[in-house]
Amino acid sequence: MAWRNVWRNRRRSVVTISAMAFGLWVMILYAALMDGYVQGMERGILDLEVGDLQIFPEKFRENPTLWTTIEDPDALLEPLVSQGFSASGRVLAFGLVAAGEASAGVSFRGVDVERDATITKVQDEVARGEWLDPADPKGVVIGRRLAKMLAVDVGDELVVLTQGIDGAMAYDLYNVRGVLRGIADATDRGGVFLNESALRELVSVPEGVHQIIVRRPADLALDLAAGEVRGVAPDLDVQTWKQLMPTVASLLESTQGIMLAMFVVMYVAIGMLILNAMLMAVFERIRELGVMKALGVGPFEVLRLILLECGIQVGIAVAAGLSLSLPALAYLSTSGIDLGALAGTSVLGIAMEPIWRAAVSTGVFTKPVTVLVVIVGIAVLYPACKAAAVQPVEAMRHH
Amino acid sequence: MTAIVELTDVTKRYVQGSVEVMALRGLTFTVEAGEFTAIVGPSGSGKSTALNLIGALDRPTGGVVKVEGRNLAEMGARALSQLRRDRIGFVFQAYNLMPVLTAYENAEMVLALQGVDPAERRERVVKLLADVGLAGLEQRRPEELSGGQQQRVAIARAIASDPAIVLADEPTANVDSETAESLLALMEALNQRRGVTFLFSTHDARVMERARRIIRIVDGRVESDEKKPAHPQQPGTGVPAG
Repeated sequence: MAWRNVWRNRRRSVVTISAMAFGLWVMILYAALMDGYVQGMERGILDLEVGDLQIFPEKFRENPTLWTTIEDPDALLEPLVSQGFSASGRVLAFGLVAAGEASAGVSFRGVDVERDATITKVQDEVARGEWLDPADPKGVVIGRRLAKMLAVDVGDELVVLTQGIDGAMAYDLYNVRGVLRGIADATDRGGVFLNESALRELVSVPEGVHQIIVRRPADLALDLAAGEVRGVAPDLDVQTWKQLMPTVASLLESTQGIMLAMFVVMYVAIGMLILNAMLMAVFERIRELGVMKALGVGPFEVLRLILLECGIQVGIAVAAGLSLSLPALAYLSTSGIDLGALAGTSVLGIAMEPIWRAAVSTGVFTKPVTVLVVIVGIAVLYPACKAAAVQPVEAMRHH
Repeated sequence: MTAIVELTDVTKRYVQGSVEVMALRGLTFTVEAGEFTAIVGPSGSGKSTALNLIGALDRPTGGVVKVEGRNLAEMGARALSQLRRDRIGFVFQAYNLMPVLTAYENAEMVLALQGVDPAERRERVVKLLADVGLAGLEQRRPEELSGGQQQRVAIARAIASDPAIVLADEPTANVDSETAESLLALMEALNQRRGVTFLFSTHDARVMERARRIIRIVDGRVESDEKKPAHPQQPGTGVPAG
């Protein structure tokens, strides 16, 4: 009976179902694109820039100096790796690079090429040239805007100028081995990657590191991971990426809230449509509902009938919305949206990926469907209760 | 004889805006099992109101309404709903069939609500529709049936659950005289063959002619209650032969 009632006013039901299906389709794509955006941002932060956690010597972040080091990094790296973490130390320094008439202030990052590959994917982000090679100690990889600012490219010479640990001026010539894609503002404008040994030699820091970047096991929550790392390095400054980049972390966390707000705004509009459609469906059948009550149909059965009619429409809309979203998601998750001129521009210092791809997960489907069902459920409650409360005598007077 | 319906000093007051209308002013009568009774009277006399109260569709302002000995005022909404479903059949002036259901499904509806086994339901409904002259039309929807046929479906629906009484509110008002005669003949036959108790509210002289008892209501009170001479009993059936 509920099924047949749905199709009594075919046009109205089709419009209602179409609106729900379209809303669901939009929300699924929106959720997948937002998840893709968030994951892209997180990839940019975790894989290319910060890692999950960082360990610094005490006071280093407030006053970064060459001689403030973690003296025995191996004593930390080995237990961390044995606990399932990936970790790699870096030597850091600051100075100037110059090419021709141009110069720029930069941060030098001395990396252990082999070990660094376990905690970062920056080596995959070389736009031109190649990543560092221990066999080429004079080769450096620089950020793309730095390269543009200095007007250098792969193979060009760079003059590097800094201060050694003893306070003496240190300088040398290096070759640009690679230029990175857009990663993050700090790296783009002033990032110079060198072999760890080359930087140690330049700044005369034979031992110790200034920073250890840590990646946690996939199934270990960030806070728990931080606790474990602090257990391994109790006297050092252990920071999660969220502590290091609170604004970005807050932005990414608020994305879920923004998404939910979008769902609610979209679905409230659909809910109004449902409310209107179901109210019309109830009022135009008020006499019929009165007859049903007269024949002994109880209020609960009437309520159930109206809910079922709405449920059928939601069911069809969900099936249609999901079916239509699959090909669109297949396209958006593989080909994605080419950001064209926007590619490489940064949001809060993190570069946007050139192709914006949707991320498909169960949540991309379940969240929009759940919110749709809840909103429609709320919207239909009033007409359903109205129908259930119909008084037979009064209802049968309606014409 | 068993009293199916007992009305004792029943009053019903309606308030429409600032106007108060006394529809019933101390209505008292009983209906026995197997009766074929018509309540007659001018418009506004309280006929339909009386039927609504007996049918547990409305509550009286005062007095007592009993159906099969149960005081309706002492029953909750759920119990009244079950009483309507199980013990009272309704035939309305405007048929009031469910437009999305077939004739078969309309007649089956109350049995389905009662949770009667589908196989039994089918057997009973098919036989019932044949009894009311609708064999072969089971799968038609109301819009595909004439007024008379629709009213036959309504009658089948009303008696499907073997109710204690069928309340028929102006059942012949929307059909032509020939159809009215056939419907009345059908209800009379059901009364005689199956012992179904009918209580009509009507203006129709044809109904009055066939009814074996006529309760005349004027201004919400019984003005007269006239029983026609009893028909000879059919041997073994316990119901009038008619």
